[in-house]
Amino acid sequence: MGGKVTCTLGEVKNRADFIVYWGGNPAECHPRHFTKYTLTQKGRFVPEGRKGRTMVLVDIRETPSAKAADLFLQIRPGKDFEILTTLRALLKKQRVDEKSVAETGLTVDQLQDLVDRMKRARFGVIFFGMGVSMTRGKHMNSAAILRLAAELNAFTKFVCMPMRGHGNVTGSDMVLRWTTGYPFGISMARGYPRFNPGEFSTVDLLVRGDNDAALILGADPGATMPQPGIEHLASIPTIVLDPKVTHTSRLARVHITTAATGISAPGTVYRMDEIPLPLRPALNSPYPTDEEILRRIRQAVAAKPLWSPAPNATMA
Amino acid sequence: MLRITGGKVHDPANGVLGVVQDICIADGRIVPQVEGGRSIDASGMVVFPGGVDVHTHVAGAAMNFARGITPENYRKASPFIHTPELRAGLGGITPTTFATGYLYAGMGWTTVNEAAVPILSARHTHEELHDIPILDKSSLVLMANNEIVLDLLEAGEVERAKHVVAWLIWAAKAYGVKAVNPGGIVAWKFGKNASKLSEPVDGYRRVTPAQIISSLAGIIDDLRLPHPLHLHCNNLGIPGNVSTTLETMKVLEGRRAHMAHLQFHAYGGNGWGTLRSEAATIAEYFNAHTNLTADAGAILFGDAMTVTADGPWEHVLHELTGHKWSNVDVENETGCGIVSYTYKERSLVNAVQWAVGLELLLLINDPWRIFLTTDHPNGGCFWRYPELIRLLRDADYRRECLKRLPPKAQKRIVLADLDRQYTVSEIAIITSAGPARALGLSQKGHLGVGADADIAIYDENPASGLMFEHPRYVIKGGVIVVEEGQIRAVTQGREFIVHPSFDEQIEAYLRPLFEKVYTISFDNYPVAIERLAQPDIRACRP
Amino acid sequence: MPTLTLKEQPAVPLEAESLSPDVTAALALDAVRALPVYLGKRPQRVDDFFEVEGAAGDELEIRGDGRKIKWIGRGMTRGRLTIIGNAGMHLGAYMKGGTIEVSGSVMDWLGAEMSGGSIHVGGNAGGQVGAAYRGSLSGMKGGTILIEGSAGLEVGMRMRRGIIAVGGQVRDFAGLEMKGGTILLRSGAELRTGAWISRGTIISLTPIRLLPTFSYSCTYNPTFLRVYARHLSTLGFRIPYEEKDGAYQRYTGDAAVPGKGEILVWKPHAS
Repeated sequence: MGGKVTCTLGEVKNRADFIVYWGGNPAECHPRHFTKYTLTQKGRFVPEGRKGRTMVLVDIRETPSAKAADLFLQIRPGKDFEILTTLRALLKKQRVDEKSVAETGLTVDQLQDLVDRMKRARFGVIFFGMGVSMTRGKHMNSAAILRLAAELNAFTKFVCMPMRGHGNVTGSDMVLRWTTGYPFGISMARGYPRFNPGEFSTVDLLVRGDNDAALILGADPGATMPQPGIEHLASIPTIVLDPKVTHTSRLARVHITTAATGISAPGTVYRMDEIPLPLRPALNSPYPTDEEILRRIRQAVAAKPLWSPAPNATMA
Repeated sequence: MLRITGGKVHDPANGVLGVVQDICIADGRIVPQVEGGRSIDASGMVVFPGGVDVHTHVAGAAMNFARGITPENYRKASPFIHTPELRAGLGGITPTTFATGYLYAGMGWTTVNEAAVPILSARHTHEELHDIPILDKSSLVLMANNEIVLDLLEAGEVERAKHVVAWLIWAAKAYGVKAVNPGGIVAWKFGKNASKLSEPVDGYRRVTPAQIISSLAGIIDDLRLPHPLHLHCNNLGIPGNVSTTLETMKVLEGRRAHMAHLQFHAYGGNGWGTLRSEAATIAEYFNAHTNLTADAGAILFGDAMTVTADGPWEHVLHELTGHKWSNVDVENETGCGIVSYTYKERSLVNAVQWAVGLELLLLINDPWRIFLTTDHPNGGCFWRYPELIRLLRDADYRRECLKRLPPKAQKRIVLADLDRQYTVSEIAIITSAGPARALGLSQKGHLGVGADADIAIYDENPASGLMFEHPRYVIKGGVIVVEEGQIRAVTQGREFIVHPSFDEQIEAYLRPLFEKVYTISFDNYPVAIERLAQPDIRACRP
Repeated sequence: MPTLTLKEQPAVPLEAESLSPDVTAALALDAVRALPVYLGKRPQRVDDFFEVEGAAGDELEIRGDGRKIKWIGRGMTRGRLTIIGNAGMHLGAYMKGGTIEVSGSVMDWLGAEMSGGSIHVGGNAGGQVGAAYRGSLSGMKGGTILIEGSAGLEVGMRMRRGIIAVGGQVRDFAGLEMKGGTILLRSGAELRTGAWISRGTIISLTPIRLLPTFSYSCTYNPTFLRVYARHLSTLGFRIPYEEKDGAYQRYTGDAAVPGKGEILVWKPHAS
């Protein structure tokens, strides 16, 4: 339980001969993934390039990514957990129920074949996308992929990696981890970091109406949250910092236009494999950076009378 | 301006061993005299140069990876509450960055050496170091599994390898070079390891771990880096690895080198059931060979977290224990493995390990060459160093602890026969003066005129009996940062880096190679010096 | 016994770990009124939100719709805590002893990581009943949780010992990564019950969807169930076990681990 077996993208480029994309559509969502990292490059240990690699795509529908696949496994929606659990069992040569497996859209033979191919790989990798992490099961689907990749190491070299997107979500995860110990879903209400997804994560807080103010930066919950969450955002003082006027801006109390990070504002971005890259702005912007605005807000708050938490604010 | 009066000064680098004398401070340094300013009455106290941790893991990709997989440890950790002056954070086994600064300073330690940085994520390390308050820092970049360097060694191109190494150190804005399991981590990328020093590394025909070690040691000496090759030997943790360690030390004859966390490399036996201490064997060789320094890497019973570039070892540990395991292989350079671990008194293996760390510290005669560490967080948390100090200073207490070990362990170790007790001055050497000298930080680890005013002041006879647990005062760069257990001021430390010389042409060699095997642009690889908080370029040796 | 009646709904969740018999037993009423509760980041007093009446004592009663009040009964070791109404998240978390009675419903994390004592909820519960907090190796290690109504996701996740009994249906992942103990589901569950179980018993009184990694083992009337049934009936929870009425189909799993867990599904005889 817990744990993650992974690598940086260059390892995939240089060594991987078996690539699985699960619940993602890189052709459209990560358009340079195949050409930069996984399929077409001549790797140090895969000098034949594409010919030296097998790509398996697992998804509920046939997307443009399927054209690049050697094997496309179409599965029924919401069955990822069942399939991954079955794969773990087959890896350990355990018995599984054929009828039950068939409900996933695949047969035991197909899954056994996939397991055999994985075991035969010299270096395998599973890239998993939101099709896995956002579908019924959520974090347990991701956990299943992580566990499967770790267990495959008893047979061969195998890693996995989440296909992250949406701006610098990885960077946010990194910085929160080193400053608070936790990647997301953090409450600072008692003066120190506490973590509990489902209690402190954004969608849950908003849907239950657990907060009485909101500062939104680099996200557009007004477009993606369930309706009760959106209504709640509209009912409380909401502040948006964004280069564009977003759906959230339209229901916010204050919208501050800021320079687009990476285009007009410098900084560091963390890639999906947690490698940091410098951002060198190419254009000037008339707008202040997010950083400037946040510093000014902090200064203004610091000028107000102190409310500090009580000395015994920690939970015993 | 500050004056410390009436304290017993322990400044072994300058031959001062517990002499009552005044210390004067101005502009962040020790000065001969000072007019005005505050005076601290240190009667009944001892005055130490601030602690220098020569080998710890506090910042960067590996530590941040470890943080992410253990929320349950954080729930049990000491919280740091946010105030207008102090940032929030969590202590525990893998402290968050702000907490790391407060915890080290709170113990009287003022300089830390982050022992393992992948060049590819050096930018990340510097961002975290920036967020560690108060302490001065240095960092070491991982080199012994760098495939560009290994390819050059394979081709016999040691001279060119030297320029590449120098370029890489500057690109990463590092202070020195770390070698971990030479050849083993690159082999791990296809699931293998490198357990024989004289066998070619997996994927290569000629270059062996022994060659990697001697070449890197030679390169570092040629580059005149202030700190020698810092080496985590092959076969860490494996019963019987004493032979690998001895063989490694022989490869290093005639060269300077620093052996990291020596405890993990001093085992006899041929399996977990026959594990025994070979600290005496290692100490004997080590005592006779003054080209080497080492840090203890002692273990303490309790929770720890193994975080190391030694990926294959972590997989072994995971298979043994079933604990959470994480691994990341870093393209062309290195890797990292993480497994949660708890050292238990009743475990025969852990009991032997516990004894080995102490035996090394007691059997190695020269405190100027063996330093106090736990390879944090691998052997135990840095904020438990005072427990180790107690074990070194109090033979009776040691014997009490020995009684709690499994009887079988007693036959595998020699600790019961060792009566040596470290003096207070010797503690000052292994926690400060010695590491500072080994790191080549000439203004650290001593209290002579011109030294940085980094000072820890302890009660000589505290009621609790635990002398080093709670300093009365900690001074960093002349500022009182800790007083009576409270953080009084938060300063921003410096980052020590070196700029070794290399032929500028080496970039033309590296660029096409890099673009072929890496996945980022060559221009994005070096860390801009502006990204470091208070960089301080230290000179290479003359 | 002090009686606290909620007089004002907090605008944001209230953290009230001081509302526990261990804390209130030794206090006079005025001291109870002054106990700290945390409204988001602001420390407040109990009497900012509750009318406090009654006398000092070992028991504690709380009345009102407390669905936004978190951590009531945290770590309690003794005494009786009665809630006439609802309670929020983390009710009875880390509990070691004593009794909690709730007439209404509760939110997520009921009895999380508890090691003793008993909890009885008349209404519904949320998710993660008796579960491990994220990253913890084990959930509850002892004690009893009885829920008359339904419950949410991950009921009994990583539990090690103890009994959880739920009258209404539960959602996905009941008994996830279970290590021991017993979960009783009177009205069954949605999907993925017993996922990745290594040890422990899940009993369902109605048919239940199983993962492909569970295998049919046998049909029988296990002896231990008579003992359980007797124990549970003292708590007001009836389970069938008589041979004349039916039998349990036993499934073992989860082969993914591979685990030695079991799921027993009641099959009444055709009448």
